[in-house]
Amino acid sequence: MSAYGADRLVGLGEAALRTEGVDEVEVYLQRADTALTRFADSRIHQNVARSDGQARVRVVVDGARVAVVATNDLTAEGVRAAAVQAREIAVLSMPDPRWPGLADPQPYGKASPADAATSGADPAWRADLVARMLAELPRNVYGAGTAETDHSEQSVVNSRGVRAYAATTRAAASILASGADSTGWAQASSPAVDALDPASLGRTAADKVLLGAHPREVDPGHWAVVLEPGATHAFAQWLGWSAFGGKTVFEDRSPLSGRMGTQVCSPLITVVDDAISPLLPGVPFDPEGTPTRRHPLIERGVAVGVTHDRASAALAGTSSTGHALPAPNHNGGSATHLLIEPGADSLDRLVAGLERGLLVTRFHYTNLVHAMTSTITGMTRDGTFLVEDGRIVGSVRNLRFTQSILEALSNVEAVGSDCEVSTDTFDGASASPAMRISRFHFTSTSGH
Amino acid sequence: MSTLLAELADRALDEVRRLKVGYADVRAVREDAESVDVRDDRVESVSRGSSSGVGIRVLVDGAWGFAATSDPQAIRRTATLAVDIAKASGHLRGGARVRLDDTPPANGTYTTPHLRDPLDVPLADRIAHLLEATAAAGEAEGIAYVEASTDAWRKRTVLRSTEGARIEQTVLQVGAGLTAWAIGGGDVQTRSYPNSYRGQYVTGGWEAVLALDLAGHALATAREAVALLTAPELPYREDATIVLDSSQLSLQVHESVGHPLELDRIFGMERAFAGTSFVEPDDRGRLQYAAPIVSITADATTPGAMGTFGFDDEGVPAGSNDLIRDGLLVGFLTNRETAAEIGLRSNGTARADSWGTIPLIRMNNVSLEPREGDQASIVADTTDGVLLVTNRSWSIDDRRDNFQFGVEASYEIHNGRLGRLYRNGSYAGRCVDFWRSCDALGGPEDWQTWGVPNCGKGQPGQVARVGHGASTGRFRATVGVR
Repeated sequence: MSAYGADRLVGLGEAALRTEGVDEVEVYLQRADTALTRFADSRIHQNVARSDGQARVRVVVDGARVAVVATNDLTAEGVRAAAVQAREIAVLSMPDPRWPGLADPQPYGKASPADAATSGADPAWRADLVARMLAELPRNVYGAGTAETDHSEQSVVNSRGVRAYAATTRAAASILASGADSTGWAQASSPAVDALDPASLGRTAADKVLLGAHPREVDPGHWAVVLEPGATHAFAQWLGWSAFGGKTVFEDRSPLSGRMGTQVCSPLITVVDDAISPLLPGVPFDPEGTPTRRHPLIERGVAVGVTHDRASAALAGTSSTGHALPAPNHNGGSATHLLIEPGADSLDRLVAGLERGLLVTRFHYTNLVHAMTSTITGMTRDGTFLVEDGRIVGSVRNLRFTQSILEALSNVEAVGSDCEVSTDTFDGASASPAMRISRFHFTSTSGH
Repeated sequence: MSTLLAELADRALDEVRRLKVGYADVRAVREDAESVDVRDDRVESVSRGSSSGVGIRVLVDGAWGFAATSDPQAIRRTATLAVDIAKASGHLRGGARVRLDDTPPANGTYTTPHLRDPLDVPLADRIAHLLEATAAAGEAEGIAYVEASTDAWRKRTVLRSTEGARIEQTVLQVGAGLTAWAIGGGDVQTRSYPNSYRGQYVTGGWEAVLALDLAGHALATAREAVALLTAPELPYREDATIVLDSSQLSLQVHESVGHPLELDRIFGMERAFAGTSFVEPDDRGRLQYAAPIVSITADATTPGAMGTFGFDDEGVPAGSNDLIRDGLLVGFLTNRETAAEIGLRSNGTARADSWGTIPLIRMNNVSLEPREGDQASIVADTTDGVLLVTNRSWSIDDRRDNFQFGVEASYEIHNGRLGRLYRNGSYAGRCVDFWRSCDALGGPEDWQTWGVPNCGKGQPGQVARVGHGASTGRFRATVGVR
């Protein structure tokens, strides 16, 4: 399928601006061609492609009656019809006394350019990438995972003059290697397919599955740990959803409420949201047309920032930070491209610093237990290892943890030098490094 | 049923037939959705959305390909892409040729029974209904704020296959609920009615929302949220007697029975993402999964339940099937591919969340059969335990074994009476140990279905809307976290 390009996508948005009987109009448009090849037991069992788009039309009538209609009919008639529907709904709705108005035009930064090789990758290319990962697995070890490519376009058009457009690409691959009693995991994501190294991913997963053979059970309790990026990713994601939101902080529902400007974790920890980081494919504007930029949230352990869209910013008496989600969203701005800054140590050095502890590859099915203490629970999976005197001495069965994120980040002793992009079961993507943490709370064990 | 959808589906089938595939099915789908959110005395958001398109799934030499488009002009190109994808899949097939079961091709129509299509209810009526509830809850002293919401979906599907299946189906789903927030002393507590995560969901019309009587339950809900702020933490205790209300037990069924018995998961097809299952294919007919009082069915015909439909997205007619009978594992959730692997016919649980995604094995209504009594009688029969109500969080390991759930409210049970209220309650256990410990389940008068509108699975991720029937149940588990 072919991209729409700036003129066509912005032109579709402009088609809605001429809707009669409305005060303001905003159109957020998305277009994407996505393809994903999925394999299990070393064969491709699901293989899909989708070409789709959406226009979300937000109209304002009588100054503050607001409604949103979304359609995937990306024709001028389809977008105009959505605007008319939105007007019909808006007149029946109640005025929003806190309506902040639409964004004014502003200059935008530059995002990573779309990669032609990624947008042109075909099913045979994805199958070949899978084959190259699987080729690294030893005998009697089977692979499962994905190879995927996306090419997406976004645009924001509004009646105050905003005209924004950006195109991005993303390529990703993952492999879970399964042996008799162990599993190993590796994944990578990049704006460009050529940056992926499938053989390296296959080898990493293979090494873990071999190292993880014959796991023993260890007692739950407080352990020193080294968490790889696949695990620390959960910290970024859950802080993004439950702690950094400006509306949440303002309403005293965040663990950071009343703590801005204070030390909330180790000085080794710096967290930013950065939609135009080369690591994470994003665009230089949010769905309201506010510019996105590198936005510090925790700086050397001190809480310094929160995320706002226009409505939550107005509530808190400040400006949008460019963190709007597609309308309608009454929860306020949200971080979607979180980065925990890397430190100085290699993973080997982090492990070498563990006298006795656990090395965790990644977490599974994390969920928030208590927002105000930033406590989450989840399981380890795909490679959990016992470390003694700085050396891996064997693998262990998986454990459940129930742990405050901010408490864990307060107990960070060292941070890894490599920042990796991770995705989780039902979460988005973030970039985070490995960490050595002196005390981490495991609450039970599993049978595998 | 829209003739446009039927024309799209017929055209897609013609195009893919031209390409001489081994098997193909096409789905032309349009889904309309609306949501209204209010907070206290104002409308927070009103939104409507529609999405339509065609998904084309093909088998070429026993390998799958799928391509989908929202552009009606791109159907020929999309059919060709689906075939190209299938050919690429075959490149790594490893000798495993996909074979479908011998389900006869169905020809039929279905529409969710309803009195009033929720999308046809005037917006002003829906807003007023929600504001009445938030106003009632706002009377509670000390409440910070109250949110209420309603959602509705109307999904029209036309399915055609090269085997001759011809199905047209309209499913209506609707839900509503309220959540009261209490904030103070550095803590936040919530209470929800009828359930957390935007409330209760069913198939049916607006009449189902009215039957919830949000306003009538709002004040008590809000008062309990405030009471939780000063309630003590639920103490840690191993091997405790716990009583779960039917809404929490329905989620327990979802996570620790429904998902582990999906045959694609058991075969490892979800291994790298949401995980696999502790259940093995050979466990059917052998594994004593639960106590003998536990029987669980997968039933897509339960009237009004969220996972009720006429046909699944492979054209298999809705039915009712045993999963656990008197505690013994007797069945799995299957589709046409996985059922054939074990010599059975699909029990009709293949569903896609849109035209743009492939059908996966998804729960329909996986429900506990009722026994006898109700919550009051089970509490009265409990000497020492805890009643845990309304889910707040959930987590389970990648084999669906080790779980931990949090709830909004917990109550001490002492000598058959409810005692003090606790906050931040949770319980944890291992799947089979937990289900085997069940020694009481409420009867039909205590049983109801609950909708789970946010069940995630698959890559690319899909969100299914499923249902579970459950009554109050009594088990043994660890409560709290040490």
